[in-house]
Amino acid sequence: MKNTITINDVQYPIDVPDDMPLLWFLRDKLELTGTKYGCGEGLCGACTVHVNGFATRACITPISAIAGSNVTTIEGLSEQGDHPLQKAWLEHNVPQCGYCQAGQIMSAASLLKTNPNPTDDDIVLGMQGNICRCGTFQRIKKAIKSASYDLAKEVS
Amino acid sequence: MSNLTSEQMIKNKLGSDDNLNQSRRTFLKVASVTSGGLMIGIGFGATAAPKTNGEVFNPNAFIHLHENGDTTIYCGRCEMGQGISTALPAAVADEMEADWARVTVKQGEGNKDKYGPQATGGSASIRVMYVPMREAGAAAKLMLVAAAAKVWKLAPEQCFAKNHVVYNTVNKQTLGYGELASLASNSEVPQKPQLKNKEEFRYIGKAIKRHDQNAVIVGKRTYGVDTKIPGMKYAGIVHCPVLGGKLKSLDKTEALAMPGVSDVIEIPRMNVPFGSVGGVAVVADNTWTAQQAVKKLKVEWDHGPNQVYNTKEYKQQLVQNVEKPAQLVTERGDLDAAFASAKDRVKATYTGGHLAHAPMEPNASVVSVTDDSCEVWASTQSPEDIQKVLAQYLERDPKDILVHVMMAGGAFGRKFKCDYVQEAAAISKAIGAPVQLTWSRPEDMRTGYYHSISAQHIEASLDDSGNVSGWLHRAAFPSIASLFDPSLDRAPGSSLASIDNHPFNVANFRSETGEAKAHTRIGWYRAVYAIFYGFAFSSFADELAHKAGKDSLEFLNTLYDANKDPKQAEQVSRSKAVLNLAAEKSGYGKQLPKGEGIGLAVHFSFESYVAMAVHVKVDGDNIKVLNVDCAIDCGQVLNVDGATAQMEGAVVMGMCLSLYTEITFKDGAVVNGNFNDYPVLRINEMPNVDVHIVDSNIKPTGLGEPGVSPFAPALCNAIFAATGKRYRDLPIKPLSI
Repeated sequence: MKNTITINDVQYPIDVPDDMPLLWFLRDKLELTGTKYGCGEGLCGACTVHVNGFATRACITPISAIAGSNVTTIEGLSEQGDHPLQKAWLEHNVPQCGYCQAGQIMSAASLLKTNPNPTDDDIVLGMQGNICRCGTFQRIKKAIKSASYDLAKEVS
Repeated sequence: MSNLTSEQMIKNKLGSDDNLNQSRRTFLKVASVTSGGLMIGIGFGATAAPKTNGEVFNPNAFIHLHENGDTTIYCGRCEMGQGISTALPAAVADEMEADWARVTVKQGEGNKDKYGPQATGGSASIRVMYVPMREAGAAAKLMLVAAAAKVWKLAPEQCFAKNHVVYNTVNKQTLGYGELASLASNSEVPQKPQLKNKEEFRYIGKAIKRHDQNAVIVGKRTYGVDTKIPGMKYAGIVHCPVLGGKLKSLDKTEALAMPGVSDVIEIPRMNVPFGSVGGVAVVADNTWTAQQAVKKLKVEWDHGPNQVYNTKEYKQQLVQNVEKPAQLVTERGDLDAAFASAKDRVKATYTGGHLAHAPMEPNASVVSVTDDSCEVWASTQSPEDIQKVLAQYLERDPKDILVHVMMAGGAFGRKFKCDYVQEAAAISKAIGAPVQLTWSRPEDMRTGYYHSISAQHIEASLDDSGNVSGWLHRAAFPSIASLFDPSLDRAPGSSLASIDNHPFNVANFRSETGEAKAHTRIGWYRAVYAIFYGFAFSSFADELAHKAGKDSLEFLNTLYDANKDPKQAEQVSRSKAVLNLAAEKSGYGKQLPKGEGIGLAVHFSFESYVAMAVHVKVDGDNIKVLNVDCAIDCGQVLNVDGATAQMEGAVVMGMCLSLYTEITFKDGAVVNGNFNDYPVLRINEMPNVDVHIVDSNIKPTGLGEPGVSPFAPALCNAIFAATGKRYRDLPIKPLSI
């Protein structure tokens, strides 16, 4: 469908200006505010969502460019907030202010999807686009590691 | 307002515990119960006393125990990620013997009469609220025990409470808290109830899970910027780029022609410390359109006198101002004589740039102004300042400004100021509808209350035995006091208090404040002046040790031991303890590979002691921080995991400001605009951080800020140890913009 977009398994008509970034369609049109505005220029990663399964910066992605796509936001990552990463984030008490964490989790989920068993270097490389001013990086690293172990257990 | 008074006012605003103990009284009271159960509130200050007109004092409750046992605990202090809304309610639950799993935490609205001082800064929340919150919990427990005793016709001493249940020691019966709630609400509230001993703590001093993490990980924790209310419009803004400038001309035709744009509003400067600098806002039906329309405005500004401000030159000027005699602040002994008879003299000048807080959530709020009401939803550190500023702006009573305190997506001092809320109020008033104003990232970065640019010159003498015989410390920086009194041409003496509290008690000492007129708004930035005082002091101590031919740790220990001033005995022993703890944990003194080094620093601020040992590996320009050992003594810790997180975060912020972050002004305006030219730390540079908390049961002191200051000097000392190269200007790797 050319003029629709699927967000967390629900199809919506695109009834906003073509150049509106996905971020603002989510936040101001659908009032799905879990995806955050941080920089507006794809520099901080707070707006990270999945478009057709891949981590994408919603703040610089015009809605018209992804018409017909499947978008997953933090609200749709799992049914019960029980994605292995979400569980690991709780286990390691990752968030401080929490504002960047939706973007962090979505980036990490994309990383684990393509690389279920990342090395420390892989994690750093995959997460480098996401800023956290509170300084939760150490816990993010640990949480991604433990989620990857859990995923490995699920697979084996 | 005198200089001293303005600083004192700030301190009072933050709510020092002395202030509470001496000039205010707190008391516990049962609140009227509308929905059943037991509610207990704490009253603060004179206004909380029963009113003379017969109106009954009716505090909101810190605790509401419902008849089904569910318990709601209100937090009056503002949450910005530091975990206060977990730590303080957990302290209540601990004394109450409430089951944390049954507790729901709610954020109190802006009302200092109900909740006590709410302005959240100065690492003061736990210092101020630890005892009152615990007393509320302890009183609730006693009332529940008394109610159970009444049911069983026993003495309260024959009953005890544990984990949401009251037990009867005579016949082993039990009653749940919910069953007792209404009965307990009929009894008197015990004043000054007995508090637990450390051994009895259930939650305090343990690793407590944050109450709000489940919401964060599914995107349901709502921040100020996430507020949605019916009929709300969206706004964007561009500010006057230079402080004190004015709008010269505005062509809004193109902006207004954009579909979805409804209004363009000129916002004049509100010339109070926390008011708008002035700007032009666009109102639209979504934030994106508003932001795009702002770019279509054709705005010309008259930049005014501050257009002379260029930080590159200004920093050099500050250096000159501290390398010559300045205004005396404190003097003891005979410094000139000590310098004249010295065997060695060492001097150095340290500098640092402006910093922007840059929390991940830019300034945002929703305000609805009508003829007879004003309602605010804002990420804020100080609801009472919002009430004060909006009351002045709208010419209403502060009590008529209802402030919903929203979770802040980071703040670090920036959201203590409410210029962005006042602007939203101006827009709402003009359009007659509720509005959400969200600043773009560039506006957030360019319209700040910046950490001061600074220069400090320290000069010390060593006598024949290698002891420090004289110490001169000159500082020059535009101070926070200039925000309240723009006529100031330098930092007032009171801003140098922590320099004067010299940990070595050097006999011949002088502090001076150098000229430093402010050309922008200066504000509190996490750790405030401790950032540059800590940097200068611990860097210089390391330089001095090197000059004296001694190992840094040994040198510091010797100097601490030489301080026999009984007034500083506690400061000396606790500083020394954390310093030696950090050093020991880091393996300081061990043989390291070439190009590696460990640097130490210790700083006393916000009544707490933090030391860091930073282990670096340097290869050319490449500085890699391998490991940080951080030791903190802040008295009794409420939430061990929260405290650890605060220290980890402080290391990251310390690393940002040591290596990269600097706000540059050119012709009076900020040049930086986003994270490309204000680069903050990313995960690839995150070192391993080990936090060592000193076990203590003395009164809790600051935690959010004290961890920031030791990082920069420990890093620079480490680089020196590794390479012999000394960095005295922060950030070490400035971006040339």
